Amino acid sequence: MPTSSMQKRKRRNERGLLLLVLASLAFLLGNIASAQIYLPKPPPEPSEYGKVILDNYSTAGPGPVVFDHWLHRSKFTCRVCHVDVGFAMQAKATGISAKTNREGFHCGACHDGKRVFEGKTIFAACSDAANDKQCDRCHSLGKKGARKYEYRTFTAKFPKGIYGVNWEVAEKSGVIKPIDFVEGLSVRKAPMRSREDFAVKAGYSWVHPIGFSHEKHSIWNGCELCHPEIFPTAQKGTIRFSMFSNIEGRDCGACHGKVAFPLNNCQSCHPNGPLWAPGTLPIGQSRKVR
Amino acid sequence: MNKRISIALVLILVSCGLLCGQALSQTGVKKKRPLPYEYGRVIINNYPDKADLAPVVFEHWIHRSMFTCRVCHVDIGFAMKAGGTDIKAADNARGYYCGACHNGKMVADGKTVFQACSRKVNVEDEKRCVRCHSYGQKVASDFDFFQFSQPLPKERFGNGLDWEKSEELGLIKPASYLPGVSIQKNSLAVQKDFALNPKVEGMPNIIFSHKKHTVWNGCELCHPDIFMGVKRGTVKYSMVDISEGKSCGACHTTVAFPLTDCQRCHSKPVQP
Amino acid sequence: MVFKPKFFKGKFRATIITVLLFLGLAGVCALRASGGPQSSAAQADQAKESWRKEFDSICAKTQDAMTFSQEELTDLIRRCDALLPQIEKLDETRKKVYVGRLRMCRGLYAYVLDAKKKEKK
Repeated sequence: MPTSSMQKRKRRNERGLLLLVLASLAFLLGNIASAQIYLPKPPPEPSEYGKVILDNYSTAGPGPVVFDHWLHRSKFTCRVCHVDVGFAMQAKATGISAKTNREGFHCGACHDGKRVFEGKTIFAACSDAANDKQCDRCHSLGKKGARKYEYRTFTAKFPKGIYGVNWEVAEKSGVIKPIDFVEGLSVRKAPMRSREDFAVKAGYSWVHPIGFSHEKHSIWNGCELCHPEIFPTAQKGTIRFSMFSNIEGRDCGACHGKVAFPLNNCQSCHPNGPLWAPGTLPIGQSRKVR
Repeated sequence: MNKRISIALVLILVSCGLLCGQALSQTGVKKKRPLPYEYGRVIINNYPDKADLAPVVFEHWIHRSMFTCRVCHVDIGFAMKAGGTDIKAADNARGYYCGACHNGKMVADGKTVFQACSRKVNVEDEKRCVRCHSYGQKVASDFDFFQFSQPLPKERFGNGLDWEKSEELGLIKPASYLPGVSIQKNSLAVQKDFALNPKVEGMPNIIFSHKKHTVWNGCELCHPDIFMGVKRGTVKYSMVDISEGKSCGACHTTVAFPLTDCQRCHSKPVQP
Repeated sequence: MVFKPKFFKGKFRATIITVLLFLGLAGVCALRASGGPQSSAAQADQAKESWRKEFDSICAKTQDAMTFSQEELTDLIRRCDALLPQIEKLDETRKKVYVGRLRMCRGLYAYVLDAKKKEKK
């Protein structure tokens, strides 16, 4: 026969169980909400990868700007735009406007209608001149045929990797020659000693250490791009990085996953994966455009 | 049952932690670099509900061409953080803080400096108010950065100007004494420059010019508020602390040349 | 897990405690985000101009701080401390300004005194 104390205990148990279920749900939601997802999402088509849509001010007027990284990165190092010109590494964070372009900042640092590059005058961005309106070349979202260069034709002769263009090989073989110094914009400073490559221990014992090439990164980025904003510490091991922050777009994820090779490309960072782990996670070539 | 509740509570706390952590984590991204005319801009908005005026926009570049850091931050007494001084219109009207110069009487560069926050305000004064209370408003400034910076030697980052060289060449003459505010003092004995060793092997030593800094700041600006350690080498400054605004970062993140200009500090030979 | 809190009895105690923990955590997060507690200043009153003369006299010597002996520095600090109550009696604006300036001035003397003491050791 159930005593009152047994009934009480039963009720307490049920309440406890309910609380546990709710808490587990909260925990799960908390994880999902804070994007602590273990696996990186498959990236889009190589032609879409690195595309930045900028619509801080232009939606009402000429329409949002589409910036394709592949064209500019074949001609300039990351440093020129992100250090010398000073673009942020997040969409819309720079606050580019027609006014700043006309003043000769941001896009206008090169797109000023005067600078000659590869034998041609670079068109002026946000030009006032009536007969020089090339607005749709940048403000091309949803406009067919507005852009001058197209991904497939432009990168046809570039060496390909498992995901789109293999930029490293392209540079090594001389197919592309990214420029690191722009006259009137870059400032030549005393070079600092090239940093060594080093291994970064992964957070989990079953994951192979990362082989990080400081040398390669400093050739494309200089020092100032990463230090101190993205990586404020100069001493190894002081700050712990994780795949979580990479997936969120911080630390290594500031570039990798957005413009540089995607995070699914495991072996590019973890070169000696264990036999039972895949070399890469699904790249998802057939994925729909973002 | 108790065990379940404990587990449940732990899970809830951890979820909160994850969410809070997510909301607060701001590091590891490359932010935009302020444009030359934006660098050193301070937005002051201590009393958002008072008066019908927009927050104040203070531009460092125009003021630093005319005064040393010490005049404002020691003699007048401005804090080194936006909103830290707690300036009120009444303070300005009484001739303190901004009102120490912006009093309608002082003459600088041949022009009378406009008065900030007078005691009695009428409709015609609005034009004067918005000269400072201009955040988000389209207000034409009396001073144009491009015109101002055109004759000055250039550097990278920050305001894009070599302030040191500008002063050396006599293109700017920052005053270090404000009559009625600054106390007449003896000139400071020349301080010795010294080297700081970085923790990372291979990085060039930092040559710190005590001399230059004292000419612009005096002693009180840095000691002891920003630099507490009395014996060199006892307090270790890391780049992480500096980029968060501590020690060198009190100035060299927002007003003086920014941290991205590595070789300005990490320069083995002493800068001439 | 041995965990026998008596206060878990009762119908909504567990819920209340959970809510309190939530709020506490939210408060901690908010505090972290806002940058921590800020200190505030005190009252105000009227005072004579002699305080200004004393202030100018004390704080004119900051440039020479390094040349003073420990006794001289201690005396200057003492004078700063004696002047502070007079400044705190001033009107709100002047109190705010001069408390700050005196603090910087006194702070420098204390800093140099500290340096000299450590040097001797």
